Amino acid sequence: MKASYRWLRSLVPQLTAPPEELAQRLTGAGLEVEAIHRYGVGAAACLVAKVVSTRPHPTKSGLKLVTVDRGAAATQELVCGAPNVPEPGGLVVLAPLGAYLPAKNMTIEKRAIAGVESEGMLCSEAELGLSDDGDGILVLPPGTASAGAPFVAAVPEAEDYIFDINLTPNRPDCLGHVGIAREIAALYSYPWAPPTPKVATLSGTTIESLGVGVRIDETSRCPHYGAAAAEGVQVKASPLWLRYRLASLGVRPISNIVDITNLVMLEFGHPMHAFDLDRLERGAPGSALISVRVAKEGETLVTLDGVERTLAADDLVIADGQKAIALAGVMGGKGSEIHDGTTRIVFECAYFEPRTVRRTARRHALHTDASHRFERGVDPSDIEAVLASAAAWTAKLAHAQIAAGTLHVQGNVRFPKTIRLRAPRLRALLGVDVPWTEALDILVRLGNKLVTSTAATAELEPPPHRPDLTREVDLIEEVLRVRGIDNVPEILPAIHPTPDSGGDEVFRERVRAAAVTAGLSEAIVLGMTSPAALAKVKAEAPTVFLKNPLAEHQGAMRTSLLPGLLESVSQARRREQPDARLFAMGPVFIASAEGLPTEPLVLTAVLSGTASFRAYLSKAEPVDVWDAKGAAETLLFALTGQKPTLERGELPPQVHPRGGAWLQVGGKRVGYMGPLHPDVVDAFDLGAHPVMIVSLDLEALRIIGRAAPKFQAIPKFPANARDISLVVKDVVPAGDVQDALKNAAGPLAEDVELFDRFTGGSTPKDHVNLAFRVRYRAADRTLTDAEVDAFHEKARAAVELRFGAQLRT
Amino acid sequence: MSDPQADIENKLAALREAYGPRFAAAETEQQLRDENAKILGKKGELTAILKEMGKVPGEARKAIGEKTNALKQEVEKAFEVALAALHQAAREADLKGRPFDLTLPGRTPVGPGHKHPISMVREELIGIFRTLGFGVHDGREVELEENNFTKLGFPPDHPATDMQDSFWTTSGHLLRTHTSNIQVRAMMGHKPPMAFIAPGAVYRRDDDATHSPMFHQLEAFLIDEGVSMAHLRGVLRAFAERFFGPGTPVRLRPSYFPFVEPGAEVDFGCTFCKQPDGTRAGCTICKQTGWIEVLGCGMIHPVVFESCGIDPEKYTGFALGMGLDRLAMLRYDIPHLRLMFENDPRFLAQF
Ligand SMILES: [Zn+2]
Repeated sequence: MKASYRWLRSLVPQLTAPPEELAQRLTGAGLEVEAIHRYGVGAAACLVAKVVSTRPHPTKSGLKLVTVDRGAAATQELVCGAPNVPEPGGLVVLAPLGAYLPAKNMTIEKRAIAGVESEGMLCSEAELGLSDDGDGILVLPPGTASAGAPFVAAVPEAEDYIFDINLTPNRPDCLGHVGIAREIAALYSYPWAPPTPKVATLSGTTIESLGVGVRIDETSRCPHYGAAAAEGVQVKASPLWLRYRLASLGVRPISNIVDITNLVMLEFGHPMHAFDLDRLERGAPGSALISVRVAKEGETLVTLDGVERTLAADDLVIADGQKAIALAGVMGGKGSEIHDGTTRIVFECAYFEPRTVRRTARRHALHTDASHRFERGVDPSDIEAVLASAAAWTAKLAHAQIAAGTLHVQGNVRFPKTIRLRAPRLRALLGVDVPWTEALDILVRLGNKLVTSTAATAELEPPPHRPDLTREVDLIEEVLRVRGIDNVPEILPAIHPTPDSGGDEVFRERVRAAAVTAGLSEAIVLGMTSPAALAKVKAEAPTVFLKNPLAEHQGAMRTSLLPGLLESVSQARRREQPDARLFAMGPVFIASAEGLPTEPLVLTAVLSGTASFRAYLSKAEPVDVWDAKGAAETLLFALTGQKPTLERGELPPQVHPRGGAWLQVGGKRVGYMGPLHPDVVDAFDLGAHPVMIVSLDLEALRIIGRAAPKFQAIPKFPANARDISLVVKDVVPAGDVQDALKNAAGPLAEDVELFDRFTGGSTPKDHVNLAFRVRYRAADRTLTDAEVDAFHEKARAAVELRFGAQLRT
Repeated sequence: MSDPQADIENKLAALREAYGPRFAAAETEQQLRDENAKILGKKGELTAILKEMGKVPGEARKAIGEKTNALKQEVEKAFEVALAALHQAAREADLKGRPFDLTLPGRTPVGPGHKHPISMVREELIGIFRTLGFGVHDGREVELEENNFTKLGFPPDHPATDMQDSFWTTSGHLLRTHTSNIQVRAMMGHKPPMAFIAPGAVYRRDDDATHSPMFHQLEAFLIDEGVSMAHLRGVLRAFAERFFGPGTPVRLRPSYFPFVEPGAEVDFGCTFCKQPDGTRAGCTICKQTGWIEVLGCGMIHPVVFESCGIDPEKYTGFALGMGLDRLAMLRYDIPHLRLMFENDPRFLAQF
């Protein structure tokens, strides 16, 4: 909502607060002023000047030399290129030397135009920042002011402060200046009286004699319909003050009648409509000219925006004797629009039920100034004042005769209910003592009627312009708002410590910490994806679909975090960042037969590019499946305290069959890992660098949990290590050799570690060289070298026998 | 004397016979490409044939030209097929190849990774509220209209839903538009007193430079006998001190949310332009106001209590909700929301 400071001051004459201060007060009371704009800054420096004479520019055609009278008998000659310089005697606007015109970011300086010095400029509305009209200079109507008068003294509306107010939807009363003024008066304790429209001159005709009658068929959807009529209307442009007032508030001036409906809407917050009476068709004799009814199935209406709309049976329309002429509360019809030749008009001012208007506006995707207000609830009590105001302006600005009498037909009118306010409740909710008389005074200043009151309770009737006041708590908020929230003290409550409900967050924090330990960085992946993207990663097809996605590629809820992660990897590569170790954690969505979908929590990690921090100064190597295994082991050890085992049964389709494996803890599958399946690599065009994935079923891991670690005695006696280097066929899994060594080396072999593996050199073809370190230790004594040598020899012999391993020396 | 036309036709026929077996014989992609170049390349056989066309008289030349072109297309197509077959064979060989030795030890990652800034803020806020006595309540993202709107006092068609343009599922559920759904879930599942916080992802139908259709919120609410606006202010003060620093000013502006009354928006003193004397100089982050809008709050509306079966005469409560994304941007000086959802490794590595 845009509000004019000048207008507000005219409605609240006592108001002295400068704009900034007023804005702070309004913001503090819940009418958030987001910005204050100055309108017509350039206009303030300009003068009214009278054209004395014009002559052609000596050298340049298209330019004129205009001599103007700038008051006090001073004249000056200016260069002007406008096509519309008036005849001598015409009034124009002069920007004198030094004037700053912010609309054009220009300061008027002495300058030569095509060889002729000019000390000032005749301005267009665009140059003055008043409108977009830059086609010609602004020519003022005769008699506007005398030469030399400040322009803004002649047209005060050319200069203003405009407030941008971010209104909450519960305050429709402030969608007009009267409402904001009433609020200001309440905030500052100024007396308040609503404006009383100037009475229009009445013609001999009555509204009935013009044949205007109203019938409401839908009485609950249209509790009030008011109409006024005028004849002898002269449709023409509005005077400057009205045009500037509208333009400053963001409304485009059109013609006097349309501008009047907008002016009155901006004044009262109550939308109006004007019909061309001669374009309305009559129905059966004796039927009302105007009816408020629902649309007939398939009925069409061309609205003011030129769109032909097929109406739904639920749309409320205004109709003449033959057809719909307006979408009630949303937009008028093209057929009955005011035009240059209009001479007789009907004004409409009604109250439509907010939900009715909202449904129709939504259905036709129309959001208009009118629907915005009706949806939130206009004041049903100001219909006659609004019509009177419009009639008065029409008499004045369109030289019309106003038909005597206004119609006000009522449907199902709702009467306000009183609300009981209790002093103890006020104190209990706000946590501060508010003097009871002060509280009641605030409520009365806001327009509530005090029906009865005692020292502890009061019955109040809220005003019709405040549909949001329905309960005691609403009144308590009003008291708080007007007194200022700052008056409430800050008291830290003593809260009974509340245990977690569910425990998901603690678990998530553990998972997040584990993933970070595993060298992974956290990515955030959208919940929405597409069936196609899920198919690309061979994930389960989605079962939860969006009815109204923003885009086709966000039409389903994810069953996998992989599409989002792979898209992130792909995007990073386009930014020349091939190395990524990412994880994402979040629910996947699986529809249930009944009720809400299940949302099991999963974690998926992606390792791609080079394992850049493998070792100090070593060459960066591409990530491989053993990096994925290390990450999975680190994650799972942190989450369960156990090392996972790898199982290679029928693998999930996301992983490469040669390198993929299920991850098991305690015999249960808790996830999988491996190189990304080459089909998925191709689908995301990720072939330039290897991609490994690890995926964990966090619901399974949540159940397994992590037992508290149990202390193991620290060894008292030293270990004795022996290395062994073996050449085996490369089809032999190193882990089998390792296990065999451990078994054969006996119970005192504490640990067997693979510390080197290589091929080539002297190693035969299809063979690999494996180097292990076996550490022997006894719990009760120091082992002798001879003992250890014996164990080790036994181990060597065993693996040699089993794997055909040759000892390498 | 040789007949140039017959000569060319013979060569074309020979080539037509030969190209198939030659492509089939290629064992690698490189071999196949080489073979293709020998036929279609600049110095290729078919190119050479084309050069001889000049010797053929006018009318016959046209017919031969068409034949040559047809053969060219045939070869091109055959090449593509052979290439795809080679790729397919290579893919199958790759998939069926000897498994990697997964018994080899996994490589332990050396350096730690990084939490997402939104998670860091999430954990920090949870820590702050836990010390005040709040517990965490689990959430869910696909929700019933009842829990997201109706029980919170949003009437159907109410203009407030303008602020909540929501994603609906084809089953008639919606993606929660705020974490306030947890108020309803907590009140339905627990008896007062209760003090809960609920963090999580929420969804609204906005997607532009300053909005992501998925973002994150944290809800906090306290329900007990005798809870007042003063307690809400007390908790906001404690939050301001701990999150933004000692002495941070707190400003409440009355505002409107259907599920609280009175409702307010809360501004905190800008941390970016704070002067040594505690005043704010104004900066671009606070749009020169010295204040940053951070959260919405209010006293829980009696209608919410009623719809959840709690007596609003006996119990009162407050609720507050804040955007984790915005707090993360403020905390870590992140200039654009988009950065938080792109997962650029260079971004993530900074936190
Ligand atoms: Zn600042």
